[in-house]
Amino acid sequence: MERDHEKRAAIADQFKEKIRRETRGERLRVYMPIILLLSLSVLFAVYDSRFFSPANITNLLYQMTIPLILATGITFVLLTGCIDLSLEGVMGLAGSSIALLILNTKNSNDFGAIGVLVPIAGCALIGAVTGLIHTKLRIASFIVTFAMGSITAGLAVLTYRGVPAVIKVGWANDLSVGSFWGVPYLTWIALGIFAAGCVLLYCTAFGCAVYAIGDNELAAKASGTHIDAVKTAVFAICACTSGIAGFISCVRLKIGQAAMGSDQLFPAITALVIGGVSLSGGKGGMLQTFVGVLIYTELQNFLTIIGVDAYYKKAVQGVIIIIAVAMTVSRSRKTISK
Amino acid sequence: MKNGLNEREFLPRLLFKGRNLSKTYGGNTVLRNIDIDIYRGEIAGLVGENGAGKSTLLKIISGVEPPSTGEMEMNGSPYKCSSILDAHRRGVGMVFQEQSLTANLTVAQNIYRGRESRFSVLGLVRWGKMNAAAQKVMAAVDIRDIPPDRKVWNIPFAARQRVEIAKVLDIVSNATEDRSLILLDEPTTVLSREEMESLFREVRKMAGRGNGVIFVSHRLSEVLELTDRIYVFKDGEKTAVLKTSEASEDILYEKMVGRETTGEYYLSARQALPSDDVVLETEALSQWGVFIHVSFKLRRGEVLGICGVEGSGKEAVCSVLCGDESATGGTIRVNGEKRTFVSPKDALDAGILSVPRNRREDGILGMLSIRENITLSSLKKLASHGVVSLKKQNEEALSWVTRLGIKCSGIFQRISNLSGGNAQKAIFARVLGSDCPILVLDHPTRGVDVGSKGEIYSLIREITKRGVSVVLLGDTLDECIGLASRILVMKDGIVTGEFDCSHGRKPSQVEVVQKMM
Repeated sequence: MERDHEKRAAIADQFKEKIRRETRGERLRVYMPIILLLSLSVLFAVYDSRFFSPANITNLLYQMTIPLILATGITFVLLTGCIDLSLEGVMGLAGSSIALLILNTKNSNDFGAIGVLVPIAGCALIGAVTGLIHTKLRIASFIVTFAMGSITAGLAVLTYRGVPAVIKVGWANDLSVGSFWGVPYLTWIALGIFAAGCVLLYCTAFGCAVYAIGDNELAAKASGTHIDAVKTAVFAICACTSGIAGFISCVRLKIGQAAMGSDQLFPAITALVIGGVSLSGGKGGMLQTFVGVLIYTELQNFLTIIGVDAYYKKAVQGVIIIIAVAMTVSRSRKTISK
Repeated sequence: MKNGLNEREFLPRLLFKGRNLSKTYGGNTVLRNIDIDIYRGEIAGLVGENGAGKSTLLKIISGVEPPSTGEMEMNGSPYKCSSILDAHRRGVGMVFQEQSLTANLTVAQNIYRGRESRFSVLGLVRWGKMNAAAQKVMAAVDIRDIPPDRKVWNIPFAARQRVEIAKVLDIVSNATEDRSLILLDEPTTVLSREEMESLFREVRKMAGRGNGVIFVSHRLSEVLELTDRIYVFKDGEKTAVLKTSEASEDILYEKMVGRETTGEYYLSARQALPSDDVVLETEALSQWGVFIHVSFKLRRGEVLGICGVEGSGKEAVCSVLCGDESATGGTIRVNGEKRTFVSPKDALDAGILSVPRNRREDGILGMLSIRENITLSSLKKLASHGVVSLKKQNEEALSWVTRLGIKCSGIFQRISNLSGGNAQKAIFARVLGSDCPILVLDHPTRGVDVGSKGEIYSLIREITKRGVSVVLLGDTLDECIGLASRILVMKDGIVTGEFDCSHGRKPSQVEVVQKMM
């Protein structure tokens, strides 16, 4: 009987220890990316002194602009446990239509700010439709968004029928080269969107609902969350930021082409995963997203500086995402998630 | 303070009333004509074995599921709810066994999840106000050492439970002007003695304010300590309602186990005599934080039953035996040879095959035909040079269908169209066809009709006679005692008893239950 008592106490202790270890793991998850960012920065600076030269810092700020905008939007989607693969297509559609609505080489339109805002709002609407299809028809988000990406990419090319519009407005140039306090205007826009994302995630009931859904959808439902509405909103947000990224890209390239979206999805998701936002939902946040975007941008920039071939860079990207996911995913589940 | 507190309150007044509550899932009645009354200020206990219907009753009262038949009343007016939220509005709240807090939100955010608007200005939540309010809510249940702005993953496990209780309490007490009813489902499982005592104090305080509490626990000593009245359930029926002052563990055991079936029902005369060959032996088998030091010997032709309530560790022992989970300590020997299982394939190679409990999810390949399902584990035997002979496959399937009397329109029928009993027989056919000498049967008769149950028992007798050994998790205690030659009783992750169950020497259910609870 006395032995039984000891055994029982041993199990209780083991259980407590298990929870303690989980908590420790969770802490590690929060601090790991920050440690990684700092050590990579030091490493890169030591390896090549050009890395932290003023010119390269401006470069870094330029390079992080679009990934940061896209990552801010898709953070919401990932936190609910869904994924959005449509952002490349949506981005291309936004960029193409904006180029056609402001002063350009293809037609006589000159709608100015309205020509920018309407396509971005349209993107948000497309995202809402995506969300509705996902929630009402109960189709997995990766399928819906994959299809939506395909639809929007097709529509993007259709808007200009072969020859993309080149924009002729003067402010586009000012916007893309100008800077304030040494930070490019476009990066300021990205930072602004990121800040808005932080407010939305951390200061509203909506933000709490996003976490609750990602953590345990059934429990969230039980506590009165309108799952479908919140999910629709996160897809709308993500599509909206994709639209803004399309605008930035259009301003930078001076041409509204569907292809501007290509190869933009992967950096955004890689950044999030490296930063510690879980692909299975509920874990991570805007801080993780920001750190992830910085790590990703620094890495890409560094590989360019030391002259690594672009195709190797792509391969490196793939390896990084697998390592990052492998480090963060819980392997206790018995089945491999599909 | 709530109004209406006068001398009337000292007379027992009905808070909740349920009449004729029944629940049927696909022809299977799990709850039968339950009448239940909860008075104001009362703590009522709900006890019973696994599958007695406690959880189902809680689900009905808390709004998770509607009853199939029956009426309920809360605070004197008809009570019908289609969701947990509905139930909250009527003052009924449940603290779930599985914690439902969101790990990445703070304690305060969790407490006010879905109710943030009261702290919002223009859509922005003022966390300072929310935290202050949460602090008060938490203080009401004696949580003072946890800052409300800490993330839930960062607070101790037991504290999460108390936060959950605080949350439910606050929701229901704010939702209605009247008294509320709190349902606690196994809240003490993870708590230490001190934590449990503090929980009990809270529960008594709740009841002292005129609220009703339903407390469910497998630990009878706790039920006897805390409650005023105890409802005893058995097989979906209420077998007794006792005043706690007049109850004792022995009385409860007796009421819980109900009628005993005669040995003939389980064909115990045909029970194989245990041989001396040990086919499977474990020594101090442990899984970190789940079970510890489980040692047994399984002999050829023997049925070893493992009894215990849900969460006693018996499921985990089975998972380890069939390679689904790994042990963290101890050894497994098969035919005297030490083995370690990393996957079910390793266990299968060693000759151990399991029949999972959730037939529909884990057992059958619903899209495939009866033929494929039966021959799945013996395809190697039916193949030459890697190619499966369809002819042999058909013959094999057909012979099993005839032998076990599987009622179907043919071996090409989809297995998902079969009834529970026939699908289970098809799974048995697969298991038997694989020629494995050791079977792990997890609730082999769950959801099977009475006739098929008999056939499955007969089948088990037949295979053990041929030298197959079985580790059994019975669907009921009665079944476990009836079928097994020996049983191991587990509680809280340790083996608390072992009984010889050979023909004519079966222990009574009460004896076994005493070790379980």
